[in-house]
Formats: sequence, structure tokens, C-alpha cells
Amino acid sequence: MRRGGLRVERLAVRGAAGPILHDVSFAVEPGGTFILLGESGSGKSLVLHALMGTLPPGLQATGRAFWGETELLALPPRQRRQLWGREIGLLPQEPWLALDPSMRAVEQVAEVHRFQHGARPAAARRLARLGLAAFGLGGHGGHYPHQLSGGMCQRVALATARAGQAGLFLADEPTKGLDAARVDEVALGLQAAAADGQTSVVVTHDLALAARLGGEAAVLLEGRLLERGPVAQLVSTPSHDYTRALVGALPVNWPDRAPPPPPGPAVMAGRGLAKSFGGRRLFDGLDLGIAAGQIVAVTGPSGCGKSTLGNMLLGLARPDRGEVRRQPGIAAHRFQKLYQDPPSSFAPHLAVGRGFADLARLHGTAFSAVPPILARLGLAETLLQRPPGQLSGGELQRLSLARSLLLRPVFLFADEPSSRLDPLAQRTVMQLLAELAAEEDLAVLLVTHDEAIAAKMASIRLRL
Amino acid sequence: MTGRLTARLAASRWIGAVLLAGVVGFALLGPWLIAADPHRQNLGNILAPIGGGDLLGTDQLGRSMLARLAAASRLSLALALAAVAGAAATGVLLGLLAANGGRLVERGLSLLADAVMALPSVLLVLLFASLGPGQFVFIYLGLASYQWVEYFRVTRVVASAELRRPHVEAARLNGFSRLYVARRFLLPVLAPVLGTLMVFNLATSIFTISALSVIGIGLRPPIAEWGTMTIELLPYYDEAPLHALLPTAMVAATVLALHLLAGRGAR
Repeated sequence: MRRGGLRVERLAVRGAAGPILHDVSFAVEPGGTFILLGESGSGKSLVLHALMGTLPPGLQATGRAFWGETELLALPPRQRRQLWGREIGLLPQEPWLALDPSMRAVEQVAEVHRFQHGARPAAARRLARLGLAAFGLGGHGGHYPHQLSGGMCQRVALATARAGQAGLFLADEPTKGLDAARVDEVALGLQAAAADGQTSVVVTHDLALAARLGGEAAVLLEGRLLERGPVAQLVSTPSHDYTRALVGALPVNWPDRAPPPPPGPAVMAGRGLAKSFGGRRLFDGLDLGIAAGQIVAVTGPSGCGKSTLGNMLLGLARPDRGEVRRQPGIAAHRFQKLYQDPPSSFAPHLAVGRGFADLARLHGTAFSAVPPILARLGLAETLLQRPPGQLSGGELQRLSLARSLLLRPVFLFADEPSSRLDPLAQRTVMQLLAELAAEEDLAVLLVTHDEAIAAKMASIRLRL
Repeated sequence: MTGRLTARLAASRWIGAVLLAGVVGFALLGPWLIAADPHRQNLGNILAPIGGGDLLGTDQLGRSMLARLAAASRLSLALALAAVAGAAATGVLLGLLAANGGRLVERGLSLLADAVMALPSVLLVLLFASLGPGQFVFIYLGLASYQWVEYFRVTRVVASAELRRPHVEAARLNGFSRLYVARRFLLPVLAPVLGTLMVFNLATSIFTISALSVIGIGLRPPIAEWGTMTIELLPYYDEAPLHALLPTAMVAATVLALHLLAGRGAR
């Protein structure tokens, strides 16, 4: 492995519509870690693609980037491709799309040893198995990507990227959409890379991950570098407003909720609930009651049945045993749900406002009830004219809240409502949810994988 | 490059549309504009040449070719349309039922569809045609009896994937009916696929109807139909080759028009 430092000078990317990335400069020492922070659309992935030489057609990079003595941007494409895998490794976003679906995990890693390093087939497979074992995938070498969870695919991709022994390692949002336990594993993998002397650049919006990895960091906003410094310093004494907001968006820094009023009768209750899935018992004899104004948070690792529990309360899934009891005399449509993936909870071809109009008509409500709700959630009315594809995750999640509020809900099942959102959007959505629970006397079942969020939000906590 | 390609595809669709409009116009307006009765014989004027007193000549019994072709166009198009509409309605309805209903319903319907697909389609048509030789209703049933499977499969697959999506669940929780879900969410997704399928199916039906007549198990003379006309005129091919080819040319033109219309540029 070749060790070296990375020095980026005045890197800029421009497209047909004008510049997208302005004047980004930073340097990473040999074996150091550099973290690029920012929300989606801030241009942080573009930095990686510019370094790699994989910018989408129509985008041009200017400036200079020295990997050791080599100026990357000046190299002709052919010579740059020579560096891929050997000198520069990339862990792409959504790695399950980057893996070959028709190839077993161990083969994907072995390929690197075989073709990059010229190992014999048997030796390559042995090395690949060792590499997978290092990421806790020892028993999964024979599986195809579709048989693995998202987190496992992430680790296979990480093992593949690490197998290349590239001196410069670029990771694009390595923990996006993973639950806490998986984030841990990926973080350990990235730390192992640094311990090996790899120089890494990690792009993420997860400040907690940045703090764990340490090293230098920079904050990007709208294609500009706002500030730069050691991660610890950025987190403790942010100098820019946006960085301050980013730090404030960490769940541990959220303000504490006012203590809820003493609970009244349960709006929604489950008694003796049991569910097994694929021969595995998820829970048994579970009792649960949620009163008006209360937030009950359910946490647990992925696959523990926490979403199933919420679906059971709403009647979308059937318990093996036990019964669900709603407060009598309340219309069915006042029991509502908030979804994990906001875009998917709206019809893709329909302007959002169309759905709102249909909903108002269905329940005999005047459309004039909609604008005050939108205003309460900080949404512009013009957003209603757009289809979901043209709205951000945070906006859609708030619109989804608005849709539920139009029905004057008494119970809301929030199924990981912020796990796909940027930190700032996450904070906004969660804060609104807490406020609405108090204002509207809403009983909320909050399912989350983030213990810190559960601690801040819930009056009662349940771990599965 | 891409622009030029789409322009070419669009052009082929235009040609298809114009050609089809011609055939349909001929079928709809022909019997009304042409004074001649397609069944009236005139044995004193048989196999009259094209371009004479009768615009497209006369057949072996002295009947006006123009009038007969117009009547045949109307018949073929109407019969094919009816068969496709029947097949599509049945298939879509059963597909929705399978996607919506329980496991048992889906299994049962899929089994039925597989059983129909396992039989050669010609066999099914022959079976129905033999029940009532030369009767419209049995030809219609024969065509629809296997064509519904395609609609059923497409609808079932698309609908069951679509119905599992969160926005459908959200709509149901919001109190919307199944009908609303079908109209607002399913139809926009299904319509383009089913539309293409129907146009292709129309072409197949037209071809099958005339082919059945040619092999003598479909419609029978003296009914004016492209297949029956071909088979009646074939013995006189030596004297009047163009006469025998005209009905076939109509079939070819119609099928080509439909394929151009629904071809690769459809979406």
C-alpha cells in the first residue's frame, strides 16, 4: 500500500447551469481522516467524484488535487482508471446497488485479491473469507446480496473496498439509513482502515459518526466550505451559524420536553400481544397503553418487530395472540401513521395538494382548513402544487403530518419518521411531533432505532 | 442523437396512426358512401378489372369489391375490438381480484391462467369455433378465452406491487375506499401498459379472425370478411391476382398500422 497525503486546492465543479462547488481546499496528512459534513445537495459527494474522476457527464472539475506527488485532476482518464482500486478506493452510496447481484459475497471480495493483486484463486478466496470475517460476516460469504440486509451489504462493500489496499479511501455516506448497531460496525471498519495507515475522506451528515472517527473536518453548505478544523473543535465550539445548527440538531442537544400531564385513559391499548416471524419469537405477552398527549417510544435493533407492533395497533398486521383495544366511539380514520420513507407515502404521479383536496372532500372538511395546518408546520402553501419527487424528505414528512392533522387524529404511529432525514430536518420533524402531541392531545407511538431520540421524546420507553 | 431517435420513433407512430385512421375511416364511412350492396351478385360482370366502372373491380360472382372490402373492414375491426374489450375487462377484473383477495383466490386464478396458457391458443379457438361453425359469438369467445390471461397477469403483478406500497396503505388509513385507490393510484400506472397490450392484441385478433376463415373454420362465405374473400378469390388468382391480394393487403395494412402505433416509441 502506498502511503501519502491528499492536498486539494481550489477544487470547483461547474455544470451547464453554473458552478455547483466553489473553491474547496483542504489537506489530509498521510494516514489521516478527513470528514466532509453537510446536508444532501450540499455538494459533498461531488468532491469525492471529482477526486475519483467519476463526475456525471456535463460536469467539469477545476483546481488541483495532489495524491502524494500525483496531480489527480491533470491525469488523462485512462491513467486515472489505473489508480482505481489500487491507489484510490471508493465506498459508494447505497452499496447494495454497487454489488453484483449475481455473485456471492466472498467472490466479490476475492475478485479484488485475484485481479488487483494477482493472487491465485484459492488464496484469493482465503483472503476474502478473512476480510469478511473481520467485518463480522464470516458465515455469510456464500450469500448473494439479496440474501443480506442493507447493513450487511454495506460491510461487504467495505470489505471489498478494503481488500484493494488502496492508500486513499473515499467513503460516501457510509452510514445512511443504517440502525445504531450497524453504524457501530461501519464506524469500526472505517477506524480499522485508519489504523492500517489508509488516508481517508468520509462524506457524511452524521455528526456523531464524525465525532467518533475524529480527525479534521469541514462543513459544506450549498457548494461552499463554511469552516474547517479538528472535529472535536467543530463540535464543541462551532463558529458558523450553520455548524451551530448542525451541532444543535444532534438529539442529545435537543431541549428537554416539558413533563406531560398525568395520563388519562388509554386511547390505544394492546394486551398480551404476541408475534413470531419465520419461526422466531419477536415478542410475547406484551402489554401497552398510550394515553392522550403521551409519547411512547419503542426502540430496538432492526428486525426486532418494533414496526410490526405499531402496525398491529393500527390493524395493519395481525397479532398471533392478544388483543388491541381502541378507545370506543372514535372514527377509524383518526388513528394515523407516519412513514419511514416520506416520498413513498405519497402517490408519485399526483401533486400533493390533489391528495389533500380529495381527503378534505372525502371527510366533508372545507379545504380552508388546510392552510392553517401548513402554516403551523412551517410549510409554504405553494408546495402543494408539486409532485412528491420535487419535495425534500423533511418537507414531505411535514406534509404527511399535515395530512394526518387534517383528520383531527387521536393516535399517531410514527414509524422511524426521521431516519431518512438530514439532521436539521430530523430535529424539525421531531420537535413538531412533540409539540403536536401536547397541543392536540395526540397519543403517539414513536418507533426509532436512535436511543438518544427516544430519551428526548418519550414519556414512556419500551425496548424490544 | 436521442432527439433524432425520438423524432424517428414519433414519425413511425404518425404513419401508424394515419394508416389506421384510413382503415377505420374506410370501415365506418365505406358502407355509407358506397351505394353498391356487398351481397348483390351480377353474374354478367364477374372479375371486372380494377379501375373500371367499379372502382376496385368485382369478384367471381360480380359483387362490388369496394363494397365488400368496406363491409369486411367493419366486421373485422368490430369483432376484434369486441374480443379485446371482453378479454381486457375479464383479465383486469380477475387480476384485481387476485391482487386484492386472499391467498386462495390468487392461487386459484393463477392456476386457471396457467392452465389456459398451457394449451395452444389455436386449440382453444378451434374448440370454440367448432361449437358453432361460422357464428360470430363463438369466434369472439374463442379469442377472448385465451387473451384475458395476459391482462390478468399484468394487472395482478402491477396491482399487487402497487397495493403494497405505503401511499396506498396511507390512503386506506385516511379512509379512502378501494375504488378510490383503484381509480387514483392503480389506473394511472396500469393504463399505459394495458393500452399497449390492447393495441397489440387487436392486431393479433384481426390476423387470427382472417386466418380462421382462410382455413375454413371461422366465418363462412357469403359473409364479407377479409379471410373469406381471400379464400373465395384464390381459385381465380391466375385471372385476377390483384383481386385475391386486396383483402390480404388490408389485413397486412391494419396489423402494420397497429404495430407502428404501439411499437417501441409507445412510452
